[in-house]
Amino acid sequence: MRLSYRYSELLTGIDALAGVMGYLPGTAPEPVTDLIAVLSEELLATGEARAEYIIFDHVNLDPVSKTVEFEGVVFHVKPIIFSQIKNAEGVALFICTAGREVGELSRKSMKEGDLLRGYVYDVIGSEVAEGAADRMQEALKTAVALSGMGITNRFSPGYCGWDVAEQHKLFSFFTENYCGITLTDSALMNPVKSVSGMIGIGRKVKYAPYKCQLCDDKNCIYRGRKT
Amino acid sequence: MTEILERISTCVEFGKVDIKSPYPPAMKDQEGAFELTRHALDEGIKPGEILEEALIPAMSRVGQKFSRNEIFVPQMLMAAKAMSSSMIHIKPYYLSGETKRRGTFIIGTVRGDLHDIGKNLVSMMIEGGGWEIIDLGVDVSTEKFIEAAEKHPGAVIGLSALLTTTMENMRKSVEVLRNRFPAMKILVGGAPVTEDFCRKIGADFYSPDPQGAVEYLKTLA
Repeated sequence: MRLSYRYSELLTGIDALAGVMGYLPGTAPEPVTDLIAVLSEELLATGEARAEYIIFDHVNLDPVSKTVEFEGVVFHVKPIIFSQIKNAEGVALFICTAGREVGELSRKSMKEGDLLRGYVYDVIGSEVAEGAADRMQEALKTAVALSGMGITNRFSPGYCGWDVAEQHKLFSFFTENYCGITLTDSALMNPVKSVSGMIGIGRKVKYAPYKCQLCDDKNCIYRGRKT
Repeated sequence: MTEILERISTCVEFGKVDIKSPYPPAMKDQEGAFELTRHALDEGIKPGEILEEALIPAMSRVGQKFSRNEIFVPQMLMAAKAMSSSMIHIKPYYLSGETKRRGTFIIGTVRGDLHDIGKNLVSMMIEGGGWEIIDLGVDVSTEKFIEAAEKHPGAVIGLSALLTTTMENMRKSVEVLRNRFPAMKILVGGAPVTEDFCRKIGADFYSPDPQGAVEYLKTLA
């Protein structure tokens, strides 16, 4: 399933973005809120995020090796993730991106010495990418609910013990590259503002409201997010 | 401290770049760090004095406020921009040798990691602490760190990583650098890095925030 979202659907206002930067509502200095407003407006006009997911109905889950296998590909998702998807009947693989433009604008601003502008672009890009992943996840949840199924949280290579190198396996299923994401040798995504991963699907799977309770990595950059 | 040095210091602390900067509102239409630094030099104040008595203390206050969560990244960046506007006038004195830096700090984000905001923040704060910055950028190979260390004998080196997945590359780089340059001080930082990890990989210092790195460097020079 291929999806696209306008930035205007995903950005939730100045206070929300300032909140990501650490500010309580109404406490961010004027130059910061002004810049958020200007750059958001600039990107709202043309910005588009893309997402794609593929559902695999026939999967083999091995509780000994903590692996998920389908279509001849084995994912070593490790114990934390396996414990969440062990009751799945199928899985979805997904990729999402805020697109190339926002990251390029951030890098260009940084290079030109306008670090604040570069930082604001970067925060907007992160929020758009995560927002697109949230919307994609909702779309998947709605789609599988028609068959009486539920979904787990989303899990990404590189987190909760899942080796980032398995990105290469994950991306091998997205042959037409609708989202335009490429991988570096070290399996990082380009554009940087992208999200990828796996979601379990089934009648007995559960969505954990606070996924981070599952994992003991207190330094994870996703710690505290509710997805 | 003379009045003009105090004013420069205040401008840097609150991100007042120049006369056109509308922020902070209380300083609107007043001269900023850029103009005041020029005036200070024209009045005969030594560039080293401007650095030691105005810029370094200002950036130190900014770093301390950040450590206490009183300000956030955008205000640090605004302060750094004001400091950079002041440094436009001071840099020529470094080049001529009239003013000395405290030392050289080589910094880069490790191989496989494309994130640079944290690295840039640390660079700015350390530059504000009077050090020359050699910024190797992102996705920096161990060989590139070695090359820079050979080119700048006596430099301190800092490695940044944002991802748990690239911490392994940080470990490899530190191991090679430690073997090659046993006396070189190595700092590590980034969201997933911890004191414990720093110790295990044989780096000399870890700080969860830029100011910690600045304070550590003060003990070296």
